[in-house]
Amino acid sequence: MSRIYIVEDDRSIREELAELLRNSGYEAEFLTDFANSRAEVLGAKADLILMDINIPNLNGEQLLKEIRKETDTPVIMVTSRTSETDEVLSMSYGADDYITKPYNPTILLLRISAVLKRAAATVSVQTYNGLQVNDAKGSLSDGSREMTLTKNEMIIFRFMLDRKGSIVTRDELMTALWDNDEFVNDNALTVNISRLRSKLAELGCEDAIETRKKQGYILR
Amino acid sequence: MKLREYLKDRLWFFLIAAISLGLMLLFLTAYRVSVQLTATICVIFGLFLIAEETAGFFRKKRFYDDMQGKLDGLDKKYLIHEMLKRPDFLDGQIMYDGFCIANKSMCENVSAYKRTADDFREFIEMWVHEIKLPVASLQLMAHNHSDELGEKFQEQLRRIDGYTDQVLYYARSENAEKDYIIKETPLKRTVANVALKNRESAQLCGASIETEGLDLSVMTDGKWLEFMLGQLMANSLKYTVEGREPVISISAEELPDRVLLHFRDNGTGISEADLPRIFEKSFTGENGRAYAKSTGMGLYIVKSLCDRLGHIITAASEKGEYTEFTIAFAKNQFYKMV
Repeated sequence: MSRIYIVEDDRSIREELAELLRNSGYEAEFLTDFANSRAEVLGAKADLILMDINIPNLNGEQLLKEIRKETDTPVIMVTSRTSETDEVLSMSYGADDYITKPYNPTILLLRISAVLKRAAATVSVQTYNGLQVNDAKGSLSDGSREMTLTKNEMIIFRFMLDRKGSIVTRDELMTALWDNDEFVNDNALTVNISRLRSKLAELGCEDAIETRKKQGYILR
Repeated sequence: MKLREYLKDRLWFFLIAAISLGLMLLFLTAYRVSVQLTATICVIFGLFLIAEETAGFFRKKRFYDDMQGKLDGLDKKYLIHEMLKRPDFLDGQIMYDGFCIANKSMCENVSAYKRTADDFREFIEMWVHEIKLPVASLQLMAHNHSDELGEKFQEQLRRIDGYTDQVLYYARSENAEKDYIIKETPLKRTVANVALKNRESAQLCGASIETEGLDLSVMTDGKWLEFMLGQLMANSLKYTVEGREPVISISAEELPDRVLLHFRDNGTGISEADLPRIFEKSFTGENGRAYAKSTGMGLYIVKSLCDRLGHIITAASEKGEYTEFTIAFAKNQFYKMV
């Protein structure tokens, strides 16, 4: 389980954020004493740091600079400042991503998992029920047969695979698709899911995707 | 300064001179002074008059002609006293000193207003960042405790966020200082961010977004461009035609000297009479009256931001068919080299 450390001085936001992250299967902790932020953040040994810019004592950009001297822990800047200057500055100090408040929570989670994956730099071959998932080729194979997925189907499948066993809402799937420049509408999502289902069935995984009325889908 | 006007202005002086000459002649005759002497005195008097008036005329003419010429050529006319030399005649000096005092007082007055405006803008900028915190917090709460109400809350929060952004960018567009960064910005990422932000509203009206050729980069401020496209998209999603599936197509085109970004929808369009005025402040037009909640500010702000960044935005439309905005970004080889 990845540990995420939240540096945010607004109490309400950091508590909700921690809850959001815990609900999504991360371990979340936050900073409460900003007097000694540098040591606290470094001592937390987190896998990823979510950092606001407007924080007491050292501001986020300075803190980021300090942290970068010691460690390569991924940092996502989360701030209410919408200006290119802050983004350019943050990125040049070594931030891995920059998100402005208010953000769509699903998008935030997508970015977190993307940054974590990049940091882990694992070869992205995963398996599902004995099927090899090949991201680069965009295909599934069971050793003998290989089934090519379209880009949309791959995005949907990957998203569900990361959350295997728990409910994925249509809304989250839509966000994942749109985040990958696939601006599809509702009908297209339905079509993509049913195609994905039949492709999985052909590979011997019948009923892999279960529909939950009014809630979403579960990959078994 | 014309001689005739000057003489007319000096009428009183000539009248008094004439009266005194008359009186002098009267006394000279009364004392039986010889005619030759009288004539000589008259000639001397006349010569003195002409010499005095000619000198006076040219002294003033030089100064005032110079002033008028400089006034005509001057862009900021209130700076005139900086351009003039203090004249060497009394009334001119008094006026010149008056100019300086008036100008100083005006500068102080203007800078007081400028300070007030700057303070206000700074406060707005700060306020917008502050208001985003509770909005962000509420958005997280709505997500964490999502039931049926959650989605509705999210929708309203997005509206609040949209309106606060408008205020922020309005303040930025009116600001004289440079608070943007122009750098190479990939269109694809920018468009994706805008689309993501408007995904829910787009889905509510069943709109789809088509993109083409967005692999280009343009020289602009990414955040400003995102806001501008967001305004255009909000309009496209608002002015849709009943019974027609809304389609927004965004495409980019590269020309030798510039990049064009086309933003086209198949909505209600803008009538020919309204089209030239859509970028005016507070202009709502036919569509604004037909649909509630038009402020007439969105496109005005977009246009001001474009002007400040040096982009050119144009609109084309056919009523009931489509609206297409085109933003032209200048290409600068210099930036590419650096």
